[in-house]
Amino acid sequence: MNNRPSKIYFDPYLFFSLFTLSIFGLFFLYSASNADTSIVFKQAVYIFLGFAIMVAVSQADPDVFRRTSLVFIIFSILLLGITFLFGPEINGAQRWVRLGPFSFQSSELLKLALPIFLANFLFDKRLPIQSREIVISLAVIFIAFMLVARQPDLGTGLIVALSGLFVLFLSGLSWSFIGGAFIALIICSPLIWNVLLQPFQQQRIATLFNPESDPFGAGWNIIQSKIAIGSGGIFGKGFGEGSQTQLNFLPETKTDFIFSVIGEEFGFFGVAILLSIYFFVLMRCLYLALNARDRFCRLVIGGLTLTFAANLVINLCMVVGLLPVVGMPLPFISRGGSSLISLFFAFGIITSMGTHKKFLPQ
Amino acid sequence: MIFEERQVEKNNFSSRAIFLFALVGASFLAVLFQVFALQVSSYTSYELAALNNKNYAIPIQPLRGEILDRKGDAIVRNDPTFDLITQPDLISQPELFLELIKPVIYLSELDEAQYLKKFKEKAFVNKELVLKKNLTAEEIARFNVRSFKFKNAFIGKRHRRISDYPEVFAHVLGYTSRSNNQYDLSMEIPRSHWVDAELTYANGLIQGKTGLEETYNQHLSGTHGTRVYEINSRGRLVKTLEYYPPAKGLNLHTYLDIKAQIVAANALGDRKGAVVAIDLKSGGINVLYSAPTYSINKLSNGMSVDEFQDLIKDPDKPFFNRALQGRYPPASTIKPAIGMFGLTNQLINWREEIDDPGFFILPENGRIYRGWKKGGHNNVNLKKALMVSSNTYFFKLAYQSDMKDLASYFSSLGFGSSVCSDCYDEDSVFIPSPEWKYKNFNVPWFTGDTVNIGVGQGYLVATPMQLANYISILANKGNLPAPALVKGKNQSLDSNKSQEINLSNEDWVKMHDALTAVIESDFGTARSIKNLKDFQVAGKSGTAELVSLDSKEAYLEVRDTELLRDHSIIIAFGPMPNPQYAVSVVIENGESGGAVAGPVAIEVLKSLLNE
Repeated sequence: MNNRPSKIYFDPYLFFSLFTLSIFGLFFLYSASNADTSIVFKQAVYIFLGFAIMVAVSQADPDVFRRTSLVFIIFSILLLGITFLFGPEINGAQRWVRLGPFSFQSSELLKLALPIFLANFLFDKRLPIQSREIVISLAVIFIAFMLVARQPDLGTGLIVALSGLFVLFLSGLSWSFIGGAFIALIICSPLIWNVLLQPFQQQRIATLFNPESDPFGAGWNIIQSKIAIGSGGIFGKGFGEGSQTQLNFLPETKTDFIFSVIGEEFGFFGVAILLSIYFFVLMRCLYLALNARDRFCRLVIGGLTLTFAANLVINLCMVVGLLPVVGMPLPFISRGGSSLISLFFAFGIITSMGTHKKFLPQ
Repeated sequence: MIFEERQVEKNNFSSRAIFLFALVGASFLAVLFQVFALQVSSYTSYELAALNNKNYAIPIQPLRGEILDRKGDAIVRNDPTFDLITQPDLISQPELFLELIKPVIYLSELDEAQYLKKFKEKAFVNKELVLKKNLTAEEIARFNVRSFKFKNAFIGKRHRRISDYPEVFAHVLGYTSRSNNQYDLSMEIPRSHWVDAELTYANGLIQGKTGLEETYNQHLSGTHGTRVYEINSRGRLVKTLEYYPPAKGLNLHTYLDIKAQIVAANALGDRKGAVVAIDLKSGGINVLYSAPTYSINKLSNGMSVDEFQDLIKDPDKPFFNRALQGRYPPASTIKPAIGMFGLTNQLINWREEIDDPGFFILPENGRIYRGWKKGGHNNVNLKKALMVSSNTYFFKLAYQSDMKDLASYFSSLGFGSSVCSDCYDEDSVFIPSPEWKYKNFNVPWFTGDTVNIGVGQGYLVATPMQLANYISILANKGNLPAPALVKGKNQSLDSNKSQEINLSNEDWVKMHDALTAVIESDFGTARSIKNLKDFQVAGKSGTAELVSLDSKEAYLEVRDTELLRDHSIIIAFGPMPNPQYAVSVVIENGESGGAVAGPVAIEVLKSLLNE
């Protein structure tokens, strides 16, 4: 430990499982894009860049993130503001911000900044945390949620809100408060349904329960996704052989519904392997969280990991027909630079927080 | 203190983190369970759903069978025709394409407009589109030389339903046309796919509409093949997965005789009428002709609306099949039947003579029924009455008959029912009877009505087909297989019917003898056709009056209107004494039966015998 400056902060378990996921992802993407090598190549570049960022970020001491958390969240919110003012409108939504040759989804940053900010805000508070902290935390979460949700991007907005709520919960939010909030949510649910949800969002939820009511409209995606997965059987139809994928019956194969491609071409067997890798990643993160050096690190690892998990579970549940259709990519596999970079960034932070040990003052 | 608090905090975090991760783990299990349900439990139904998505089966049209005459020569066949077929998905600018191809293929403005209209939809789904039907040999040659320039078009072979005798056989063959509901639903090909059927006929999915084409549509149709395409989500055809060829329809072997039918048509010329000839051995119908006629080739392969309207509005009604639907008074041709009835019921015999003063007075009211010859025929027995066509003899015989018995006798000779086993839309007409008259006119039957029927006038009408059937029964001495157009379709005559026509052989011989005398003797009413042939023919001519008149002078006045002139009828069989064929001829407004219809019958018999 004397040669501290030359130590590389690195978690082989996380690194190699994410590497495996990414490489698998490239193959899946190749098939999902009807063998479009340019898409795969671009994705490979992002993955390479992502690993570089992850390794670089994990070298930083957790304190760096703690000290910069306020700047980070203000920067993220500013970017969202810029998006709102200047961002191009694509499909009726303003989600992207352009920086030189790059453009990315500004909400991705907030998914990282919000849990770190809240972890920093809460880690030194006495248990149980007080109403004042709860109110402040909830206010920040609500602002972050509204900024993203009004783009409109309800899916990401919910993930952002969850990322904050996870930290709040992990930092010791009292159960009685959780119970009260839960009851309030149930009481308010008709209000949420009628006032906050757009008609298309209401329809998506209705479709979940009865996709056959509109098989060529709202129900199309979920019906075709189920057919793709179901027709894959135990061992799948083979790489590049999925008729639902290759003949374009399945929508959004490169992004939201790439899991259905895997289900169709690799079957239950492939799905089980994929889920095992994800599960391993989550377990490794849990281990790192439980053994992190301080409360701040624990909260950040827990918050980021659970955000990742929520993202993953929502996508999986959506494509297999357990949740309504929301725009949510499959982490590390769906096409998309912003999401990949932000994921690697998050895992860089997780690695940093999980591998840096505190040295007792001498 | 700090340490304790840290420990509490750590434990608190651990339990909460494990709680949340357990929720995540539970979600994973739920997903895995759902995937298992989809991929393992419900695998078969989802596999089927995936196949239904991508497999697109279309029918392949089979060739129809040909219709052959009794010698095996084709009356209707499938004539290859060549269409210019394009592949719209390979054509980026249809307007430019049309400009390029115009010097090669003649295109009307309508052709171009229709092509452009359908273009977009077809290009989208990778389907073929016909640009021009029925290319000329010159166009084919021009295209073939330049085909390297047109990778997006080719000449496709299709067929047309063609007869080499389109007018002569129009009524008996019938026509085919595109059908809007020509689905073979036994094929498990969804109805909506039939618009994409792979066509063998230029005219689309065709179906027999009249005549033999209709009656034997099933027999001729064949079985559709199937091609299963793989399609993508936009319905674009990607490739062929499976191919099952169609099976051509069966040929139809008929009794029709091309030569005799043409002879009949030529002999009728441009007069209206019908000819039916029957092979006495088989009951097969050799000739079934109705005039005026039309072209089935045009009707089957696209006729202009104007042309079709002209045919429909034509006062001579070319679509009307006179041979099967024309109702004509049999006139004197019914006399042999009345004679046979008299013999059967012992009302007369061959020897008994009556006096024929040229008219018959109905005893009840003194009404006079005239013969055709002023002054009459003096003493006539049955043979002479048939030979010279004495009206008086048959007025008297009918007067003695009970109409009910007579009606049932007519019925056994095929009157009042359809006699052909497989003719299209044959009129069965009716047999007049007291009940029939009361039902239709609400007046009772008078004896005078029966008297009129004795000479085939009054309420009695029959089709040329029924007349041919009747004379064939007579020629065959009471026994004839039911007439049919197609070989093997004859049904043997109803046994109880043949029982009613059981004259003694002696009576039959005498009847044949008397009917031979009609033509062959120097006094026969049809002696004018005696020398048209070198074999003997038996028969009976008739002149069907359209208006009932008492004097020749009155008729000469009526005669100025052609449509009121008498119909000329003959029924004949030969060669005697061992007849092989029977024939009936009706010529509308042709007047004198023997002299006008007679030569037509002779020509047809000669043609059938000189094969």
